[in-house]
Amino acid sequence: MAFVSAAPRSTVELRLSPAVVFLLLAVALALAMLGSLTLGYRLYGLDQVWMAFFAHDGSETATVIAGLRLPRALIAPLAGAGLGMAGAVVQTLSRNRIASPDTLGLNGGAALAVVVASIVFGVQSLTGLSLAAALGALVTSLVVFGIAAGAGGLSPLKIVLVGVTFASLTHAIVEVILTSNEAQLQQLLFWLSGAFVDRPISHFFTGLPVVAVGAGLALVLARPLDALQADDSTARGLGVPLGLVRAAAFLAVALLTGAAVAMAGPVAFVGLVVPHAARRLVGLRHALLLPASGLAGALYATLADIAARFVIYPVEAPVGAITAVVGAAVLLILLRKRAA
Amino acid sequence: MSVAVPALPRHRPLTRWTALGVVGALFALLTLAAIGFGSTWIPLEAVANVLLGGGERTERLVVLNLRMPRVAAAAIAGGAIAFAGYLLQRITRNELASPGVLGVVDGAAFGVVLFMAVFSNEANALTVPVAWQPLAAAIGALVAITVVFVLSGRQASSAIRLLLFGIAVAAVCKALTTIFMLVGPIYQASQAARWLAGAVNAINWGEIQIMALCLVPTLLFAGALARNLPPADLDDVSAQGIGLNVPVYRILVFTAAALLTAIAVSFVGGVGFIGLIAPHLARLLVGRARLAGILMAMLLGAMMLMGADLIVRVAFTPLEVPAGTVTAIVGAPYFLFLLMRKDQANG
Repeated sequence: MAFVSAAPRSTVELRLSPAVVFLLLAVALALAMLGSLTLGYRLYGLDQVWMAFFAHDGSETATVIAGLRLPRALIAPLAGAGLGMAGAVVQTLSRNRIASPDTLGLNGGAALAVVVASIVFGVQSLTGLSLAAALGALVTSLVVFGIAAGAGGLSPLKIVLVGVTFASLTHAIVEVILTSNEAQLQQLLFWLSGAFVDRPISHFFTGLPVVAVGAGLALVLARPLDALQADDSTARGLGVPLGLVRAAAFLAVALLTGAAVAMAGPVAFVGLVVPHAARRLVGLRHALLLPASGLAGALYATLADIAARFVIYPVEAPVGAITAVVGAAVLLILLRKRAA
Repeated sequence: MSVAVPALPRHRPLTRWTALGVVGALFALLTLAAIGFGSTWIPLEAVANVLLGGGERTERLVVLNLRMPRVAAAAIAGGAIAFAGYLLQRITRNELASPGVLGVVDGAAFGVVLFMAVFSNEANALTVPVAWQPLAAAIGALVAITVVFVLSGRQASSAIRLLLFGIAVAAVCKALTTIFMLVGPIYQASQAARWLAGAVNAINWGEIQIMALCLVPTLLFAGALARNLPPADLDDVSAQGIGLNVPVYRILVFTAAALLTAIAVSFVGGVGFIGLIAPHLARLLVGRARLAGILMAMLLGAMMLMGADLIVRVAFTPLEVPAGTVTAIVGAPYFLFLLMRKDQANG
């Protein structure tokens, strides 16, 4: 698991040119995705992967690679990219470095919306579930920030307390709904902690446009978001329409988080960890930070997904449990640093 | 950070003990009702009759062997967790502190799951007596709370930071618990999943005996410590000035709270928010008085867990929805309310 946590933990200030950083991240991501295809309960060679894609002979090997390994090799990076970018935007929006879709309760809200939509309203299509998840994330962000505003502007630490409490509330409701529908507890446990395994490839193709729209919206907002990093009056002085930018940014966060949760369940703390690593690599400008967070999130989720296959081999661990252990450790480090 | 202590009405001893008496009577009523409700309704007077040693044979069987263990476990565990919450809130002088947010509950849960994973054979049977389970829970809880305090270091005096460290440690424990549950056999995973969310359905008299045996010395220990709890509105320096609140004493109190929680959690699972709300309500009802406050908190904690268990039994039977979900659904909004109110009090 060491390689998963290596990036966020490093204390060395790396300053490579952004082009090099992006190239390295892309190469690493490509290698990780290749690893995701070949490594697992059974190890496959590159020739077998090639065969499965370009000369499918109907063998079991080809079926496993194309039918089971490929979907997760694609869904993991897509969900990771969504969560990574959502984390970067939300940390800027709240000017809070320990904010993330998890610590603000957005993941939990999205998960609750998915469960309600599928069980109460019988929504089947992943597009429908993604939109429900996005709506859940949006409503949660309104509630959490509304509580913060209602209490006369909470400190960043207290906003996180509100978010975490809200998350435990949604978690309990999800649990009641799922148990009273006699969902298999083992499956429930797996879904609630987030997993990329056993997802059909169609999830990727439905999630892709939602993530793309969210990412595009976030990138359009890159310059106003730069201005938001300072205080409100500075941003206003720079001619940024604050209300509009915030609303659009929340929408982007909701789409990115919603798609990720609908595809994989609430994978913990990806959105918390990744932007910190990305900031070290490319600095604070959102035009660079957002794509770097996306790439780093994709890489991180893919590596965590590979690690999930081996930590309790031969059983598969939920990837969310892996990212939770790493992410909570990073949260502890961030909390200690803030004090120093 | 200074913690705002809301002005409380002065409670005269008479009203305090009256309040305690009223809640005690409600507790007795709830106990009878909790035993009476179930697949067949047993009238309250029949329940009382059985408890006094009479009643028909089938009624005795249902009441004593099926219903009572569940109700007794809920009452004992709820009371213990509430006492732990009382100790933590008083020693940190922070009304937001509780065993749940300081990582104690999840630490204990991880201890138990690790214990189950290590000491069970292929047939899902424990290879060591179940009596060791509370010990595993206690070790997990103590390790978790120690980590929280070591990491928060000098920041431990800041209430909010302490809670965030607690939440982060709890998240680590929770994730490790999930992984170890999946390592174990499937049977164990589904058992443990229910139990983790807080469930009292599967308990028997043997386990209750172990729980009670572990709790008696812990309660005496905690009670002896509670006699020296500093007044709630005293700051650190003054408390040390009058010889209270020295580091060793603090550590002992945290240990007692962790032990109380661990013993309860090891039998009924991770029940959230009782340790937060019960001491809080107790303070509203009886003010700052120590003995009455502790008794009231324990009564309320016992009633909350019994009530939550009653709700899931009545509303969801035959499904086994964990009682902990009810306490979370009620407790989380209450915690949010406290957070907001505290902030306004601080300006």
